[in-house]
Amino acid sequence: MNFIDIAQASTEAVSHTAEGAVDEGLLASLGLNGQLFISQWINFAIVVAILWFLILKPLVKKLNERQKMIDDSISNAEKIQKNLDRSEKDYLAKMDVAKAEACRILTQANSEAEVVAEQVKEKAKNEIEAVVLQAKKNIGLEKDEMVSKLKQQTADMIVLALEKILSEKIDGKKDKELIEKAIKDMK
Amino acid sequence: MHFDLGIMHIPTLAPEVIFHIGGLSITNTIINTWIAIIIFLIVGIIISKNAALRPTKLQNFLEWTLESLFAYFDQVTGDRKKTIAFLPLVGSVFFFILLSNYLGLIPGTGSITWNNIMLFRPANTDLNLTVAMALTSVIVSHLVGLFSIGVLAHLNKFIQIGTLIRSLKNGPIAIFTACVEVVVGIIEIISEIAKVLSLSFRLFGNIFAGEVLMTVMSSLVALMVPTPFMLLELFVGLIQAGVFAMLTLVYLTVMSMKPHGEEAH
Repeated sequence: MNFIDIAQASTEAVSHTAEGAVDEGLLASLGLNGQLFISQWINFAIVVAILWFLILKPLVKKLNERQKMIDDSISNAEKIQKNLDRSEKDYLAKMDVAKAEACRILTQANSEAEVVAEQVKEKAKNEIEAVVLQAKKNIGLEKDEMVSKLKQQTADMIVLALEKILSEKIDGKKDKELIEKAIKDMK
Repeated sequence: MHFDLGIMHIPTLAPEVIFHIGGLSITNTIINTWIAIIIFLIVGIIISKNAALRPTKLQNFLEWTLESLFAYFDQVTGDRKKTIAFLPLVGSVFFFILLSNYLGLIPGTGSITWNNIMLFRPANTDLNLTVAMALTSVIVSHLVGLFSIGVLAHLNKFIQIGTLIRSLKNGPIAIFTACVEVVVGIIEIISEIAKVLSLSFRLFGNIFAGEVLMTVMSSLVALMVPTPFMLLELFVGLIQAGVFAMLTLVYLTVMSMKPHGEEAH
């Protein structure tokens, strides 16, 4: 293969083209031909049909579906985040209410406990006082009883003593002393 | 039947007919188009059956490609909905041109011959295909215009009789402006034809030139030397696919917008 071949080949090509131009006019020399043109047009139509219906359309559809799915996911995620925030807020608010309620209940319980303790104390005090009073009363009664018993026994002893003394010889002098002594004791 | 490897065969402008089915000629570019169709069909069946929210490797790669394209497309349309509405045409154009260009770089394309004719030839080195795609882009852009802004508003971009009639109420300067706009409308019609020509010839020219370059380079020195050109062709293949798709998208977007200064009339 050398330059002479190239020159020869190009001359052939040019002469072929030139002959075509002379024989069949400009369009034919360029290779334009009604039947070939229609064939290629049909081929192109087939290409467009295949490319669109079998390749591009399914791809575009999937691209759109994926786009839609991503959009939906993002908006869902936003919605979920919003719900979460709201729930957290609700939770905190409820917690605050519950805390306040607990506090109130504790305070009330404390004050009630104080009242009850006071009452119990009061009651105990009263009962103690009643018991003491009763005891005092009993002591008094026992004392009275003892005093009266003592008086009785003293009187009995006096009587016995008197009887003893009296059973001895009592003269006027002794009588007089006794009376004086008795008067003296009574003073 | 005669297979022939290694003999330099500079491609002619016209694709070569390999065989006939009934009365239909099947050219080497049509064969490459069919290969692209078969590849798309296989990928399509895999994708449409296995598309899932959790993508596999293939789906992941395609989705990444698509998302990268969307980033560029959105800059033109300014609206993801519009981008997806135009995707059937724009996406197909991009992926088809890209695959066709890269198929043309596979060794064997342009070098395997059958009866002294290249068996495989990059699909976009066939003007029939590039013109078909360019015409489709421009026609679809007009349909989009007709449906999105209304028949009269769309036609008034080219045959500005409506503008002329409205201007009659607004004095001589408005009438003069309207006359200028009528001429502009005629230029617009020419530019629509130019769109088809520029789209189709740009793609054809770039890929055809690349193919010729590759053929010449590989026949001069088969080893190492074609590699940088091959890398260049990879780049060109991507750029041309991008340019065709972006221009198509621009035409669609422009046609779907209300004519500039409509509210001022």
